[in-house]
Amino acid sequence: MTDAATVRDVAALARLVISDQDIENATAEFNQILALFDALSTADTTNVAPMINPLDSAQRLRGDGIETLVDRAGLMQNAPASEKDYFLVPRVLE
Amino acid sequence: MTVPFETISSLAKQLDAGHVSSRELVEDAIARTERLNPELNAVIALDKPGALAAAEKADKARADGATSPLLGVPMLHKDIFCTRDVQTSCASKMLADFVPPYDATVVKNLDDAGMVSLGKCNMDEFAMGSSNETSFFGAVKNPWDFNRVPGGSSGGSAAAVAAGLAPLATGTDTGGSIRQPAALCGITGLKPTYGRVSRYGMIAFASSMDQAGPMARTAEDCALVLNAMAGHDPLDSTCADISVPDYSAGLEQSIEGLRVGIPKEFFSSHLNDGVAATVSAAIKELEADGAVIVDVSLPSTDLGVSTYYVIAPAEASANLSRYDGVRYGYRCDSPSDLQDLYLRSRTEGFGKEVKRRILIGTFTLSAASYDQYFMKAQQVRRLIAEEYQSVLKDVDVIAGPSAPNTAFILNDDSKSITDMYMEDVFTIGANLAGLPAISIPAGLVDGLPVGMQLIGSRFGEAQLLNIAHQFQRRTDWHSLSPNLEGLTR
Repeated sequence: MTDAATVRDVAALARLVISDQDIENATAEFNQILALFDALSTADTTNVAPMINPLDSAQRLRGDGIETLVDRAGLMQNAPASEKDYFLVPRVLE
Repeated sequence: MTVPFETISSLAKQLDAGHVSSRELVEDAIARTERLNPELNAVIALDKPGALAAAEKADKARADGATSPLLGVPMLHKDIFCTRDVQTSCASKMLADFVPPYDATVVKNLDDAGMVSLGKCNMDEFAMGSSNETSFFGAVKNPWDFNRVPGGSSGGSAAAVAAGLAPLATGTDTGGSIRQPAALCGITGLKPTYGRVSRYGMIAFASSMDQAGPMARTAEDCALVLNAMAGHDPLDSTCADISVPDYSAGLEQSIEGLRVGIPKEFFSSHLNDGVAATVSAAIKELEADGAVIVDVSLPSTDLGVSTYYVIAPAEASANLSRYDGVRYGYRCDSPSDLQDLYLRSRTEGFGKEVKRRILIGTFTLSAASYDQYFMKAQQVRRLIAEEYQSVLKDVDVIAGPSAPNTAFILNDDSKSITDMYMEDVFTIGANLAGLPAISIPAGLVDGLPVGMQLIGSRFGEAQLLNIAHQFQRRTDWHSLSPNLEGLTR
């Protein structure tokens, strides 16, 4: 079981806001899902290695060469706010 | 001209014989989509100019002597695949205005094979859901009953094929998102082996399980499309560098003597009685065709749900951290500072289910919970994968239901979050273990489709397609289509 304060802390880590009116419900849902996870404790995983990749294989890497996959202008077209080749955000330094 | 429920292979023959042109097929598909989609909501972006131009290009290529079984055949993409200059929203407010400057490899491969993309299909937001109710663009309706869900997350793709808007739609499957909607809409859907199809340009949900595949009317069509979709891609480091066989070549092989394992856990209390009887009858058809039916056990089946719902949200919380309102995607109005920009852009841009999964994933990855949940789930994942591998040493394929129920009622408040997650109980195992699996129409219960699932060994897609095709030669469940004429406007 976890409490509302923990859920708020997790939301802050995830850069999400949970309103005061939603926190009770969000906490209840959170605990409902955590209860589903309780079943994991019944599995004996002594000396079992974690499985990160279902093929258990090393990832193949490309050669370390420079290539252009997407043009810069195409990428900048989706920027919510930009100037020249820069993304604009609120002022960080005063 | 009426060709809404034709298969790809049938359309290819008609195109080759000159009985129809690609332009005519595309015009017909667009007209049908415009007529049915206002009710169905399966398609969220129709690219008429692009489709007509591609159709004319295909017709010209055919006139110039080009041949390909996919040349000029119309299709739809799940809106999770990046399509150059065409909206790619992942059914989220976060990406509602996103127009990619590049194509996903799947899109490019099917373009290169001459297929004509009509546009993009609705889906659960960021592929998180089993009902297609989490889409920012509203729920998709099941063509067999407009009061019911089509399944998810590739619900728009499944509904579009079932309604005859196109003979093919692409889908993606992280925990059953191709197979469950295929089952609920009465079509054929294949989730290939993890690494068989490139994930480049496919918007990430859970990177260690996401896999793209075809959703079509028949296994024969899925084979044709997989021939073009699959293969090594240097742009995806998890894409296997293993040669692609001709998946159509072995379809006619006899299944005499093939061993089909039936896990007793797939016929548990989770399973609807009607679905159980229908799938059991389908298994008897395989037996009648010469397959040897073997009882097997996958004791960790139920644990798969807990394992999946730890791992997938954890990977999602990391993948979706890129949506910060800075480089692309939704940005809130008038942010006071950078923190406010991040917080409000993400809170306003993501829907409820996506935020729920990000929260759970962030929690299980946090230092205090990592060992108890995330590491433990990764260990149980190995146990589950080993159970499948062990069973698949004794049998050629595993068979059972694709989903525990037929299509359920839209907006059913009586279904809890975990009830919804249990809808994936029979499909999740193949994703955790990285195995290929297919859902094929197996019958109807109360007028609603039921799917039978076949799970194979790694890179064993050809065998799955062979068995599915042989089943579809003996049965005609895949030929049934919903009666939509009373619903047309």
